[in-house]
Amino acid sequence: MAAVATCGTGTGSPGSTVAAASKNNVTSFQRRGPKASGSDSGYSRLASIAGTRPSVRNGQLLVSTGLPALDQLLGGGLAVGTVLLIEEDKYNLYSPLLFKYFLAEGIVSGHTLLVASAKEDPAGILQELPAPILDDNCKKEFDEDEYNHKTPETNIKMKIAWRYQLLPKMEQARPVSSSRFGHYYDLSKRIPQELIEASKWHGFFLPEKISTLNVEPCSLTHGYVRLLQFIQNIIYEEGFDGSNPQRKQKNILRIGIQSLGSPLWGDNICCTENCDNSHSLMKFLYVLRGLLRASLSACIITMPTHLIQNKAIIARVANLSDTVIGLESFIGSERETNPLYKDYHGLIHIRQIPRLNNLICDVSDVKDLAFKLKRKLFSIEWVQDNYLRQERNIYPPGFSYLLKQKDSAWGEGSLQHSTFLMSFLAKATAFASRLVRHSEPLKQTGSGRIRQAAGPRLWHDGRRREAPGLLVIPP
Amino acid sequence: MLESLLALGGLVLLRDSVEWEGRSLLKSLIKKSALRGEQVHILGCEVSEEEFREGFDSSVNSQLVYHDLFRDPLNWSKTGQALPGGPLEAVRALCGKTVPGPVTIVLDSLSWLLLRLPCPTLCQTLLALSRQRSCPGDSPAGEQVRVLGLLHEELHGPGPLGALSSLAQTEVTLSGTMGRASAHILYRRPRQRPTHQIQWFSILPDFSLDLQRGPPLESQPHPDPHAPPADPMTHLTFNLHLSEKEREAKDSLTLPFHFSSEKQQALLHSGPAPAASRIFYEPDAYDDLDQEDPDDDLDV
Repeated sequence: MAAVATCGTGTGSPGSTVAAASKNNVTSFQRRGPKASGSDSGYSRLASIAGTRPSVRNGQLLVSTGLPALDQLLGGGLAVGTVLLIEEDKYNLYSPLLFKYFLAEGIVSGHTLLVASAKEDPAGILQELPAPILDDNCKKEFDEDEYNHKTPETNIKMKIAWRYQLLPKMEQARPVSSSRFGHYYDLSKRIPQELIEASKWHGFFLPEKISTLNVEPCSLTHGYVRLLQFIQNIIYEEGFDGSNPQRKQKNILRIGIQSLGSPLWGDNICCTENCDNSHSLMKFLYVLRGLLRASLSACIITMPTHLIQNKAIIARVANLSDTVIGLESFIGSERETNPLYKDYHGLIHIRQIPRLNNLICDVSDVKDLAFKLKRKLFSIEWVQDNYLRQERNIYPPGFSYLLKQKDSAWGEGSLQHSTFLMSFLAKATAFASRLVRHSEPLKQTGSGRIRQAAGPRLWHDGRRREAPGLLVIPP
Repeated sequence: MLESLLALGGLVLLRDSVEWEGRSLLKSLIKKSALRGEQVHILGCEVSEEEFREGFDSSVNSQLVYHDLFRDPLNWSKTGQALPGGPLEAVRALCGKTVPGPVTIVLDSLSWLLLRLPCPTLCQTLLALSRQRSCPGDSPAGEQVRVLGLLHEELHGPGPLGALSSLAQTEVTLSGTMGRASAHILYRRPRQRPTHQIQWFSILPDFSLDLQRGPPLESQPHPDPHAPPADPMTHLTFNLHLSEKEREAKDSLTLPFHFSSEKQQALLHSGPAPAASRIFYEPDAYDDLDQEDPDDDLDV
């Protein structure tokens, strides 16, 4: 193309005339500007879809999951064309909240919704979405909630744990009135009815779609097949895959599937360990991902993985999904009484983040995340153990993995804990004392006199010499 | 206790075992709801109708509508009474019993159904049962249909038990010690935290419930877990406690990594005063002093 532009002296194509006009430049490569008529898949067009933004790392188009804290952990948001799988907690209390945040974000951004469920009517699910916070009056309420929970004791202990002050803070709830990406929601209020009516949504309720319930097990994929056909129809008819070129304004389709894999979908994986149709769910996920990749849509799926009997299926499902988040609530487990977790309701595990057009993925460094369901907000924070923070200050950073292991096995204040601390300190001081054995003790003065600790001596033709450059105390 | 079990709609799962049977509790629940004037439909699979009805007085018996699957489950006798289509059709037929007012549907044994029907199908049918309304515009709030299911938990693996538990609104597990029965009740309301309750009870011959207090406490072998264990600090040769003065000193200590204002001043002012530090360098025989030619000391 460039060769034609340079060699061609004719005025055939507009590109060559442009190239001919720019002979003074170093190169004759000339980028064609955007045409006035507007092509249908220019980059500038794609970025202008409401509620999306390109990722700063790899340029992927991202949509918000509804929780800005979760967006931050996933590397900016959920990529368009991918699946977010949420492993439900045991009593299914907190995963519907993430599901609802996702759908509410779709309504506020003006995306089309597709809600599929085998247990609840989709219209009922939409009625229970949280209300978005769109003005700044609520900021004061949120700040009050924040400060009420801070006790003076935590402030004292933060003084020693200086490293934690340097860590970036998780985003607190700051309602931004005109933000295009990532809104905040008030869980105590329902979404206003006019917002639901103004939005476009499609519902798939399995008992209505399946009129005859067959008994034979070979029809286990029946519910999945119907759902896939439904999704495919919507994508095709509404032009999310670019099949309808008359559409001027592109939009995103947000798909939400609730409790996939549970017996209510007709799937056997929660009931037996070795079932014949264990692959129906895999096929479903595979076909779903194909549909998503070819269209402008994003999908959230909640799955009761704690009920799945065969653990290999969970691994397969995680491999077939893009982003996997696990929720583990403390209800009924022994962690409920653990003082480590007394402020939190559960742990959130980011199990997998996709590598889209990338060689590496964007996993955040922090591994111990916990969530807390406040009255109005679902917040995600780092587990803050006051004691551990103090200790991490004493120990060098590389030893924190020991602390993690040790703390899970030993309780706070136990005998093993204290002796570990004392033995470690003894070893550390012995090591430090070896360093300073051959010179004056280290003194930190403000005047800038620097003394170097005794390093390894350089042996030079049989004589033990000081290393060149070693500072000598002036006489 | 019975009121609270019957208050919520949806599926109420009664899990019993060989030692602690649940049919008597089921019958007491039936009696309670019949006395409240509700419609009660019973699908009997495991015991015969006569055996089921014995123990109820006539007022209760007249209110029970019994669908018998025990006598002829597969419809071999080809009479008009037996329900065609097998167990699944029998359960589905209960879905169609839409009458106004609260309805209680009793499945005498979910285990019997679970052994003959695939578990997902049964779950879907149970959901359809508990979702039905008496009339579209009739029930103001909550669900009017209650499904009581008796489940023998030893007959099934963890898969079906977990699946049915996740479907149930209330789950009662029967157990006990020393001849006294207890019910562990777990309420799983849709969007609230599950609450747990343990109730000791015994059932009287006329199927009314006698609530009791827990067993005497001397049978507990475990010590109180919150009692402080033996203090590990007592036999140490070093002191881990801090006195008040030591604590103050510790709090007022500036840590080496804290960027305090003194340190900032020291760093700012240390610039123009290098006079105190000088470097004394004694060149060796092998040291090269010529900065220009780095290869001067090579023997080439």
